[in-house]
Amino acid sequence: MTVASSTQLVCFVILSSTLVLGSLAVVLLPNIVYSAFLLAGVFLSVAGLYLLLNASFVAAAQVLVYVGAVNVLILFAIMLVNKKENLAPIPGMALRRLLSGAVCAGLLGLLIRVAFTTPWALPGPTPVGEDATIRIGEHLFSDYLLPFELASVLLLMSMIGAIVLARRDVFSTDIITGEPADQVLIEKERSPLLLEPTDSAPLRSSP
Amino acid sequence: MFGFLNKVGDYTRDAVGAAKYITQGLGVTFDHLRRRPVTVQYPYEKLIPSERYRGRIHYEFDKCIACEVCVRVCPINLPVVDWVMNKATKKKELRNYSIDFGVCIFCGNCVEYCPTNCLSMTEEYELAAYDRHSLNYDNVALGRLPTSVTSDPAVFALKELAYLPKGVMDPHGVSPTAPRAGRLPAQVIAAEASEPS
Amino acid sequence: MLSNTVVTEGLPSMGLDLQSSFIEALGGLGLGPGLARLLWLPLPMLLVLVGAVVGVLVNVWLERKISAAAQQRIGPEYAGALGLLQPMADGLKLLFKEDIIPARADGLLFTLGPVLVLVPVILSWLVVPFGQNLLISNVGVGIFLWIALSSIQPIGLLMSGYASNNKYSLLGGLRAAAQSISYEIPLALAVLAIVMMSNSLSTVDIVNQQTGAGILSWNIWRQPIGFVIFWICALAECERLPFDLPEAEEELVAGYQTEYAGMKFALFYLGSYINLVLSALLVSVLYLGGWGFPVPVEWLAGLMGQSVDAPLVQLITGAVGIVMTILKAYLLVFFAILLRWTVPRVRIDQLLDLGWKFLLPIALVNLLITAALKLAFPSVFGG
Repeated sequence: MTVASSTQLVCFVILSSTLVLGSLAVVLLPNIVYSAFLLAGVFLSVAGLYLLLNASFVAAAQVLVYVGAVNVLILFAIMLVNKKENLAPIPGMALRRLLSGAVCAGLLGLLIRVAFTTPWALPGPTPVGEDATIRIGEHLFSDYLLPFELASVLLLMSMIGAIVLARRDVFSTDIITGEPADQVLIEKERSPLLLEPTDSAPLRSSP
Repeated sequence: MFGFLNKVGDYTRDAVGAAKYITQGLGVTFDHLRRRPVTVQYPYEKLIPSERYRGRIHYEFDKCIACEVCVRVCPINLPVVDWVMNKATKKKELRNYSIDFGVCIFCGNCVEYCPTNCLSMTEEYELAAYDRHSLNYDNVALGRLPTSVTSDPAVFALKELAYLPKGVMDPHGVSPTAPRAGRLPAQVIAAEASEPS
Repeated sequence: MLSNTVVTEGLPSMGLDLQSSFIEALGGLGLGPGLARLLWLPLPMLLVLVGAVVGVLVNVWLERKISAAAQQRIGPEYAGALGLLQPMADGLKLLFKEDIIPARADGLLFTLGPVLVLVPVILSWLVVPFGQNLLISNVGVGIFLWIALSSIQPIGLLMSGYASNNKYSLLGGLRAAAQSISYEIPLALAVLAIVMMSNSLSTVDIVNQQTGAGILSWNIWRQPIGFVIFWICALAECERLPFDLPEAEEELVAGYQTEYAGMKFALFYLGSYINLVLSALLVSVLYLGGWGFPVPVEWLAGLMGQSVDAPLVQLITGAVGIVMTILKAYLLVFFAILLRWTVPRVRIDQLLDLGWKFLLPIALVNLLITAALKLAFPSVFGG
C-alpha cells in the first residue's frame, strides 16, 4: 500500500464517519442551531468526498452553494426567529417516532439493497482531473440544457415570489398628519434654531 | 425607453461624482501624509502655556479681605471663605479658604473681580489625583507657586504654534528668544505713535 | 487533499521549480519520489503560513504608522526601531491575556467560531502564486477555490455571534453574514470576467495570460470596471473601514467580537488582516499581472544578452517575481489604509444598496461587455 492510497483511505474513513454521525446529529439533536451548524459540517464532508473522487470543481461548487449560501440562509432564518419556547407535547409521540423510524429504516434497507445489487463498474471511469470544469460546462450547455434552464426558471420564480411577499404597500402620505411623506428620509424638516433678524422683529435692539 | 436612458445617465453621473469626491478626499489624506507630526511627547516635552492660560488658581492668604466677591461671581458659588467677625476689632478674621478643583470650571470670574488681586491664574494644568477629595485645595495648597515648564530640567519646553516665528511650524529647535510672528499690542501702539500722521 | 494537488512536473519547465529540484536532490540521497514528495509537502505550507503571519505583522505596523502619518501623529515608536516590534508586542499581549468564555455563552460554538473564520482564509493561500511554480498547489479550480472558501467565513461569524449570547454580537454576526453574501456575488462576477479572458480558473494561468507586454498587458487596462468592483467587494469582504459595519463601535460595541478576549480575539484580528493581505495579493494576481515585472523580463534578459533559461537569470526572475507580487500587494494595502482615513462608514442600508443595486448590475454589464469583446477581438481579450 503506498502512502497516497493509505492517506486516501484514512481521509475516506474520517469523512464518511463525520458525514454519517453529523447527519444523524442533524436529525436527532433537539437544539436547532446545533443542527444547522452540523449541517454545514455535513456539507463540508460531502465536499471532501468529492475531492477524494478528483472532482475538485464539484467540491468547490458544493462548498460555495450549500455551505456558503443554503446553510447561511438557514442559519439566518433560525437566528432571525430565534424565540426560545418549549414545544407543546404531542399526543402519541412514541408511536409517531416509531412509524417515522420504520419508514426511514425501510428506505435505508432499500438503498443498501440497491447498492449491493447494482453491478458497479470497478474501477470506475478514469478521472478527467482538471478538464472536468470544461466537461461540466459543455454538458450544461448541450445535453443538460433543459434541466439547467428549468432550474434557473425555478430560481427566478422563487425570487419573484420573495419580492412579492417582501414588498409592502407604500403610503405616499403620512397616515396621522396627512402630509406627503418623503420615503427616502423619514425626517421632518426641523425648525431653524437661529432666526434671521427681520425689520419688524430685530433680534437685538441696536444701541 | 428614454426614461430608462435618463436613469442610466443619472446613475453614471452619480457614480462619476462619487469617484471624483473620493479621489479629492484621498488627495487630502495623502497631502496630510507629507506633513510633519504635531505630536508633543508629553512627559518629556511640554508646551509652554500661553500668557493668559487659565490654569490652577493661585491665592494669597495675606491679601484676602474675606469680602466673598469671588463666591458671588462664581457660577456655582464654589470658593469656601471661612471667616469670623472679631467683635473687638470689628473686622473679619479669615480662617480658611478653599476651592475644589474637581468642580471648578476655570472661568476666571473670581480672579477678574477680586478687589485685592489675591487670586490669580497660573499655568499649572497637571491636576490629576487618585482621589477626588484631594482636588479640594485649601489656602496652603492654593498658595503654592507652580513649577514653570521652562525651568524644569527634565522637560523639553516647546513653544505653542502662535508663539513661533513667522513661517515656522515645528517647535523643535526654535531658539527661546526668537520673536513671535506679528507684533505685540504695545509695539503696534509704539509704531503708530512714531508714524507721522 | 492529497489526490487533489496537481503534479507540476507536467508543466513546461519555466521559471524556478523548487519542488522537482527538491525531489531530485532527495532522490540523489536514495529516497523514493513518493516519500520525497511527502517530505516536500509541508515545506511550502509552513513557509506560506509563516509568510502570512509575518505579512500580518508588517500590515499591522503599516496600518499604525500610516494612520499616524495621515493624522499627523508619530505612531508606535518605542517598541523596536520605528516601533517595528509593536505588532509583536500586541500579539504577545493577546497571547498572555486571560481566555474568557462568558458564563451564559455556548462554550463549544464560542471557541469554534474564530477558528472557522481563520481557517478558510489561511486555506485560501493555497492558490496565491508568487512565481510560475512558487505556490503551494496549482489547483485547477484556483480562484474558484478562494471564492468557495471565503463563503465559509460567514458561518464562523454567525457562530461566534450566536454563541456570545449578546445582542450586539448577534447583530454584528448577522450583519457580517449579510455583507459577505451580498458582496460575494459581484466579486464572483468580476472574477468570472477575468476567468473568461484567460480561459482558466487557475491563478497561474491568469497571470500567464497577463505576461508578454509587461505593464501594458495587465488586466487592469482590459478590466478597469472589474478592478474597481473587485476592490470594493474585497474591502467589504475584509470588513475594512468604509464597510466595517459588523464591528461599528458606535452602534454595536464591537459586533461579533464584543465578548472575545485574548487569543480568540487575536484569531479574529489575525483573520481580518490575513484576509486583507490575501485580497490585495489576489487583486495583484488578477489585475496587476501577479509576479510580472512592469517591463517584460524576457526583453530585459535579451537586452543583457542572457538566455531566460540560464540558472542565474531564473533565480533573479523568481526573486523579482516574489518582490513584485508583495510590492503590488502592499501598494494596495497602503491604498486601503488611505481609503480608511478618507471615506466615512456607510450605513447598513447604503451598504446593501451599493452591493445589490449598483455593483451587481454593473458587474453583470461588465461580464456581458467582456464576453462581447472577447468574441469581437479574440486576440486582445483572450481567444
